[in-house]
Amino acid sequence: MPFDPRNATPDQGTAFRTSRRTLLAGLAALPLLGAAAACGDDDSGSSGSDKVELSFFWWGAQARADLTEKALALYTSKHPNVTFKKTWQANQGYFDKLATLTAGGNAPDIFQIDDNYISEYASRGVTLDLTPYKESGKLDITKFPESLWKYGEVDGKLAGMAMGENTQGLVWNKTLLDKFKLPSPQTGMTWEAFIDWAATVSKTAKVPGTQDPSAVYQALWVYLRQNGGDLYKDGKLGFDETHINKWFTLWKTARDKGATPTPDIIHEGNATDISKQLVVTGKADTSWVWVNQMPELKKNTKDELGVMAYPGDPSAQWARASMYFSVFRGSPHKDAAVDVLNFLGNDPEAGKILGTDRGLPSNLDVRKLVADTVTDANMKQTITVQNDLGTKFGPSSPTVPPKGHSKVKTELIRIAEEVQYGRQTPEAGAAAFVTAAKAAIGQS
Amino acid sequence: MPVRPTAPRPPVPAAPRRGRAARRRREDLAGYIFLSPWLLGLLGITAIPMLISLYLSFTDYSPLISVTEANWVGLDNYRRMFTADPSYWHAVRVTVTFALIAVPLKLASALGVALLLNKALRGIALFRGLFYLPSLLGGSVALAIVWRSMFNREGAFNSLLSLFGVAGKPWVNDPTWALPTLMLLAIWQFGAPMVIFLAGLKQVPTELYEAASVDGAGAWRQFRHITLPMLSPVIFFNLVLETIHGFQGFTSAFVLSGGTGGPVDSTLMYTLDLYIKGFVELDMGYASAMAWVFLVVVGLITVVLFSTGRFWVHYSDSAEK
Amino acid sequence: MRSKVRLLALIVILAFVLYPLLWMVGTSLKSPEEIASNIGLIPRSWTPGNFAAGWSKFDIAFGRFFLNSAMVAGLTVVGNTISCLLAAYALGRLRFRLRGMWFAIMIGTLLLPGHVLIIPQYILFRTLGWVGGDWPYLPLLVPHFLATEAFFVFLMVQFMRGIPRELDEAAVIDGASPYSVFRHVILPLSRPALVTTAIFSFIWTWNDFFRQLVYLSDLKDYTAPVALTLFIDSTSESSVGPMFAMSLLSLVPVFLFFVAFQRLLVEGINTSGLKG
Repeated sequence: MPFDPRNATPDQGTAFRTSRRTLLAGLAALPLLGAAAACGDDDSGSSGSDKVELSFFWWGAQARADLTEKALALYTSKHPNVTFKKTWQANQGYFDKLATLTAGGNAPDIFQIDDNYISEYASRGVTLDLTPYKESGKLDITKFPESLWKYGEVDGKLAGMAMGENTQGLVWNKTLLDKFKLPSPQTGMTWEAFIDWAATVSKTAKVPGTQDPSAVYQALWVYLRQNGGDLYKDGKLGFDETHINKWFTLWKTARDKGATPTPDIIHEGNATDISKQLVVTGKADTSWVWVNQMPELKKNTKDELGVMAYPGDPSAQWARASMYFSVFRGSPHKDAAVDVLNFLGNDPEAGKILGTDRGLPSNLDVRKLVADTVTDANMKQTITVQNDLGTKFGPSSPTVPPKGHSKVKTELIRIAEEVQYGRQTPEAGAAAFVTAAKAAIGQS
Repeated sequence: MPVRPTAPRPPVPAAPRRGRAARRRREDLAGYIFLSPWLLGLLGITAIPMLISLYLSFTDYSPLISVTEANWVGLDNYRRMFTADPSYWHAVRVTVTFALIAVPLKLASALGVALLLNKALRGIALFRGLFYLPSLLGGSVALAIVWRSMFNREGAFNSLLSLFGVAGKPWVNDPTWALPTLMLLAIWQFGAPMVIFLAGLKQVPTELYEAASVDGAGAWRQFRHITLPMLSPVIFFNLVLETIHGFQGFTSAFVLSGGTGGPVDSTLMYTLDLYIKGFVELDMGYASAMAWVFLVVVGLITVVLFSTGRFWVHYSDSAEK
Repeated sequence: MRSKVRLLALIVILAFVLYPLLWMVGTSLKSPEEIASNIGLIPRSWTPGNFAAGWSKFDIAFGRFFLNSAMVAGLTVVGNTISCLLAAYALGRLRFRLRGMWFAIMIGTLLLPGHVLIIPQYILFRTLGWVGGDWPYLPLLVPHFLATEAFFVFLMVQFMRGIPRELDEAAVIDGASPYSVFRHVILPLSRPALVTTAIFSFIWTWNDFFRQLVYLSDLKDYTAPVALTLFIDSTSESSVGPMFAMSLLSLVPVFLFFVAFQRLLVEGINTSGLKG
């Protein structure tokens, strides 16, 4: 675990600490004990006749809720002794609620989580270590791409089962390009060539060619990997000021060339909401998202959309877990919960029900099955592109981001915007970002 | 430091000594009986969480661990806040700016419109309701979307400005103007203190105005010598509460900036920074420290308000006439 | 003439104040593609279906969420008005030992930002066994019956101090106990304070998102503000049109409540009748 300066407390004297601990331990006789309450290997039998009710918490829209409920109902029909207490909501407030439930020792047996927080939850001992289940085969990940399931490992322990694969996807408005007889961008084109392409679009179609992705962390991530670095390496930052300076300067040039919109519109597009992406609001021709978000974007516009990898060498991209399912370490029904995970990730029928709503199915066999049966044209295109990109991925893929990753992301947005608004030079911004990122992950 | 907001006691009517003492005891008992639900709520529901959060402010507590596992760090959180966290002082500046400008303007609008609405007018009930509608929306996501759309580059506000030949700016997306846009959103919801002013205006006995008219006093004199003094307890209430709420402002900043305090932290209100530190970065010990600093500072401001209130707030339950 | 100027001023101010709301109405009638691109007031493609879509979007009709909200808000109003009035009478009217200290503490509870209290309160309520279960609304309602909202206590204190003390003293001279004074003097004259408290209690509870989110886990228990966010999952297709439609609908009960109650604010207080 990276050194955290906050733990370096001035020594107050061990005796003082111990006596307070004893006092607090007394109070802790109540369910003030939080996350790690029910440690131990108690379990009330999963494949027996004991009735088990598992609490299940996820975020998403109504569409995902329908699919998930169907899949869970399917499980119950096969294991009648297992029922579910389902809670779902939009992602606004989801992690706030999850943190509150965890603080109260009331975390759900199974919950959805993503790479923003999985390291945090895992390193604090909230998630169940799934490694033993993986080794024994109770949680079968053999059909998952290796880099995909490994993306769920925190400190060498499997903290969550990847529940969908995605990778970086550049989405552009094809209808607009066709209208002005402009070419589409191509996978593998260099960053500079892409910016020139965008500048041409701006001039010809009078719509900025691309959103400025200085603040988009996954774009920076790919760029770093293409230039000998990475976002994180062994729990530390994988980049230094030179990299960031080059990144910010690249996009300053792009802004000067007119390839991007004005800073205020860039700011609008920096929001992570799908509906605010510039490609659908018509304020730029290209947005920087994930491949599996293309069908969602399509629902917000009448125009035709295209999707491809980010510029540069596509081998720098990787199979990222769009989200995970994790089990609460204090759950009284661990075995049952893991069995449900195994079902949702590997069972072909469950896979067909869940479709590509959370990303491409992790299990490659299930993925093929889904790809063959899906009818929606945008979904088909997404699967094709993702699979095609999958063949281009390089051999090494990054590990899941460490604790503090969400702060690194927000600092990137803040500092990139400072540069975008012209309030800071790229060099100063680069220095500031490196300092802030180090502080965020607790690197000295 | 007991805060004494009361005016000097009225002279107690003459009564036999024994009766007075018995009455005093009875009033003591009655006081505590009437206060008992509040006391129960205080001890059972409010005080314990407040004390827990005070304790947590001296630890490195995160919601993901239990309270007992949190490590004691002493004043480290406070030290870090004051010396090692640039976003903290930035949030303080944003919040103070917001409170100093938005609160007086909101109160002035509320009082002004309340006075306009107080006289009999056809359809007055409807007017009151309509002015109050903005406050009903509270911190809804829908409202934030509306505000952002109205105040961006192509929004309605710029269309209005262009009618007057004024060049528009991308208000809500501009670091210099995002905070004023937020202030405008707060001021726009003046309906809430307006309703309180209206209620207070209704409490002014009408015979005072009648008597003053008979004596030949005009509208302005009536306002200065009847309305303002009689309304002063309510003005005081609104001033204190709107000030506290101004400093505490969270929801509007949260929804307008999408939870980021952006662009570039220009709308990073103190409680928004606190929320981010506590719930997004899961540094709840630090957030608790921020909360207690807030309590002390705003508490001091409130004490100042109460002290000055002694000079201009007129309570009918005092002997002055 | 002056009243015409007054009326004109009111209408102009009202136009500015209401424009954003009219925009909401317009948006609730736009189609999804138009919402992202068209920012004008009038929809190009009229989509009243947004209302129907919003109403029946979930397995449970939106009406159920309204009912839940109404129940929670209604009970909160009852709890707040009663308990805060009692506390205000004590802190604002009676004289007793340590009153000043309790008053200061009451004001103090107003000051602490709520976010740091959510987790300790959750732990507390869980210890008491109120979280979850068949009726999960306990943590949301019980505090209001114990005058924990200092805002209303303070509000009522200030209103009460506008009631002339001579009335109390007159009653006392006639032999009234503090309880009688409360019943016969203070209570009748507290109508503006009670009405204001009722209005604000209802509205704040109706719009209180986060605490309701934390304590409610079953879709069928959700209240309106929680349900409204279900329309906007930022990672997927957002149903902005139906969300706006339901937000507007959600305004209706609150607005009606306000209109109904604010009529009680109409009459001025004529104290001469009491002296007779």
